Amino acid sequence: MTTTRTERGPSVLCVLDRAYRGAVEAQFFHALYGLLDLHGQFERMDVALRGAAVTMAVEEDVYRPSVRLGTMVLDTLPDYRGSVRDLVAEGFGVFVDEAAVTALGFAPEQLVAGTTCLDSAELAVRWPQYDQVWFV
Amino acid sequence: MATTMERRMWDLLLILTAAPHSSDVVTSALRLSQAVLDNGGSVRVWACGYATMMTQDTFGDTKLPNTRDPEGHYPSPSAIVQRMIADGQGRFAWIGCTACTEERGATHHIPQVRHRSPLRLAATVAGAKQTLYLGGA
Repeated sequence: MTTTRTERGPSVLCVLDRAYRGAVEAQFFHALYGLLDLHGQFERMDVALRGAAVTMAVEEDVYRPSVRLGTMVLDTLPDYRGSVRDLVAEGFGVFVDEAAVTALGFAPEQLVAGTTCLDSAELAVRWPQYDQVWFV
Repeated sequence: MATTMERRMWDLLLILTAAPHSSDVVTSALRLSQAVLDNGGSVRVWACGYATMMTQDTFGDTKLPNTRDPEGHYPSPSAIVQRMIADGQGRFAWIGCTACTEERGATHHIPQVRHRSPLRLAATVAGAKQTLYLGGA
């Protein structure tokens, strides 16, 4: 008898508090890329951005992350808001902590379309809807 | 008869102990280095702690494939340092701390990296007009 493993992993809420974990050395290989790459293995995967990580969801389309080092122009640095747009497009729920957004001088209207700006307490109330909560 | 040895004086020494993939420090160190080079100066980086990972030859020239952009070109950290050393034409150098290298098991540096014992840290500081210690190990 053979068995096939078709079951998917638990539903997970991924909480991100730390925004910036390297640019030149990381390029595409950052936390949001990891979630985009792995979420198909799980029943459901949503993301909660808190603290400085809420800036990843602030819409911005002018600045191009790029740096010149020697004769090399490195234009493959992390594009976090592009990754947040990808999260939304791929069906993640993306929750953004409102208190952090306003504390950092932004308004909920400035967030990437499709994200949900939530009061901190409301965010915490949603935790039991998931099998697991990961602090990424 | 006592003789004095002429020692090269570098404009800037960056002691880099912050780990890659943890903060903006590695990127800042490389940008700062490039700014000094662009102004005609010379820079030496002393990589300590997990910063010794930056120059491992096991990376190869590129990062692993980006599954979301398989055709994209993403240079590895060691390839970036290698390029800066080549383009610096003697004005940019990279030292790997031998103790941290051993401690982290990060013993396969690219050949351009100079291996130096921490017992020579003070002498290396003395060989630079200015030193910036970028911590975070």
